[in-house]
Amino acid sequence: MTEQKKATSTETPSIEQDLYQKRKKIYPRQVHGLFAALRVSGVSLLLGFFYIMPWLMWDGRQAILFDLPERKFYILGMIFWPQDFIYLTMILVIAALSLFFFTALAGRLWCGFACPQTVWTESFLYIERFIEGTRQQQMKLDKMPMNANKFFKKFSKHFIWITFSLFTGFTFVGYFTPILDLSAAIPTLNLGPWEWFWILFYGFATYGNAGWMREQVCTYMCPYARFQSAMIDKDTLIISYDEKRGEPRGSRKRGQAPEQVSLGSCVDCSICVQVCPTGIDIRDGLQYQCIGCAACIDACDDVMDKMGYPKGLIKYTTENMLNGDRTRAFRPRILVYGMILLGITIGTIIAIMNLSPIELDIIRDRNALFRETGMGMLENVYTLKVINKDIVGHEYRLSVEGIKDLKLNLAKQRIYANSGSVVEIPMSIEVDPANLKQRTTEIFFKLEAIDTNLSVTEEARFLGPRVR
Amino acid sequence: MTETNKSTQNDIPVMQKIIAVLWPSFLVAGVETVVFYTLFDPLNVFMDYDVSRLGAYSIGFLLFWVFTALPCLLTLYFAKPCIPCAMNKNEAK
Ligand code: SF4
Ligand code: SF4
Repeated sequence: MTEQKKATSTETPSIEQDLYQKRKKIYPRQVHGLFAALRVSGVSLLLGFFYIMPWLMWDGRQAILFDLPERKFYILGMIFWPQDFIYLTMILVIAALSLFFFTALAGRLWCGFACPQTVWTESFLYIERFIEGTRQQQMKLDKMPMNANKFFKKFSKHFIWITFSLFTGFTFVGYFTPILDLSAAIPTLNLGPWEWFWILFYGFATYGNAGWMREQVCTYMCPYARFQSAMIDKDTLIISYDEKRGEPRGSRKRGQAPEQVSLGSCVDCSICVQVCPTGIDIRDGLQYQCIGCAACIDACDDVMDKMGYPKGLIKYTTENMLNGDRTRAFRPRILVYGMILLGITIGTIIAIMNLSPIELDIIRDRNALFRETGMGMLENVYTLKVINKDIVGHEYRLSVEGIKDLKLNLAKQRIYANSGSVVEIPMSIEVDPANLKQRTTEIFFKLEAIDTNLSVTEEARFLGPRVR
Repeated sequence: MTETNKSTQNDIPVMQKIIAVLWPSFLVAGVETVVFYTLFDPLNVFMDYDVSRLGAYSIGFLLFWVFTALPCLLTLYFAKPCIPCAMNKNEAK
């Protein structure tokens, strides 16, 4: 703390100081404990998922691929087309609602354990600790004048950070460009200019955000941090210091009970401040910078253990509990968020499951309404557009109903569409004018897959002359 | 007067200003790009130039970013406390 104050009061304005101004570099101290373990598993799980996912295959193609050039999104066995973007929107809505729900329930769970910013910052911290050592060693190193050892440490840290970031950028681009092609092109550096651009861009963003900006991203960039207060109430689980129990704080010898020294339980060791990744003092009350990482809980529990005091001076609690009132987990807000979330999730899942893997479009020829053939028949021209969204190719059979004795002329004998392809086939329909009862007749095109029982029916119109 | 100006400007760190220009525009540019290219095929937009679809998406995004960052920059500029306000503040003190 005191060193940090000194550091800001030095009057030499450097670019760094100009950029950060009130910001002091924060050296989070390492913590051990339940929540630290939870975070490590969260970080490994999410990063593992992120880095491994693009390598998984499904039916001979990448399991998750957002193919922007083809405008198709492959997710496991499903293909999403631009016209299915409503489902993507629904998934985003579900994500937002879950955020509301979990925030109302337990504050910034997301920030402390699952946010990419936290996840990458944590992994950058592990690397930093691995090379530069503990918090004390890191602070000593930063104050020391440049020498070979310092240079070597700083160089290796940034080298590993940058390599890691570039790999991250590569993985990111691998979600949009088949990653096998991408990795095949890497050894010869034979990538397209835009692939390069996005690998470097994403890599740079990772390096900057997780290596340099860190908690400033949460403070300045995160919109969620600013409106979280609207989502929490007196029954929300928050991380809080038990002021009644802790104050008056003060140092004492190990093993002395609070009553003996007429102090509260807080031994004022400031460890809770040292472990905080955003550099705040939780004892000052709930602050918007707090990302709810629970590092201070682990740290203080450790101190309480050493002192022989009961744990939980800093803990997950609710405002009501702190005031000695009853806390209800199931309150209207939670129930309403929960119900809406459940409803929309089920609805979306049902809708996605029922997504038809075939689509049929009938496009009328715009040039002529109808044509009379030499045989006294009336002819309408259409283009058949078959979209196969299934993961395998299909052959289809077409039938049309709605007018008696109509005759179908297809430009192709066989209607076959590969997986994820669109096939357009010109066609015409001929009818005997005697069978037309009005000028416009509704007709129904039915397309059936020959090998499975998939079918789709599409309505279109047959136009003829005015019927007298 | 200059003193007040200085202190009010110093209330917002430079980093926050940089973020205030680049970050909202980045987000909005992302949305604009999605909406724009849902309506138009990227290949038609850059028909006369030899760019791939990914290139077209990227150029579109970067252009949107620049053109959204400009208003952010202007907002930042106009959000500076103007001299009359600063003077009032001074008198109040
Ligand atoms: S870690 Fe616990 S005992 Fe130490 S200063 Fe923080 S609240 Fe007090
Ligand atoms: S105050 Fe505690 S929970 Fe909040 S960010 Fe700091 S260490 Fe994490």
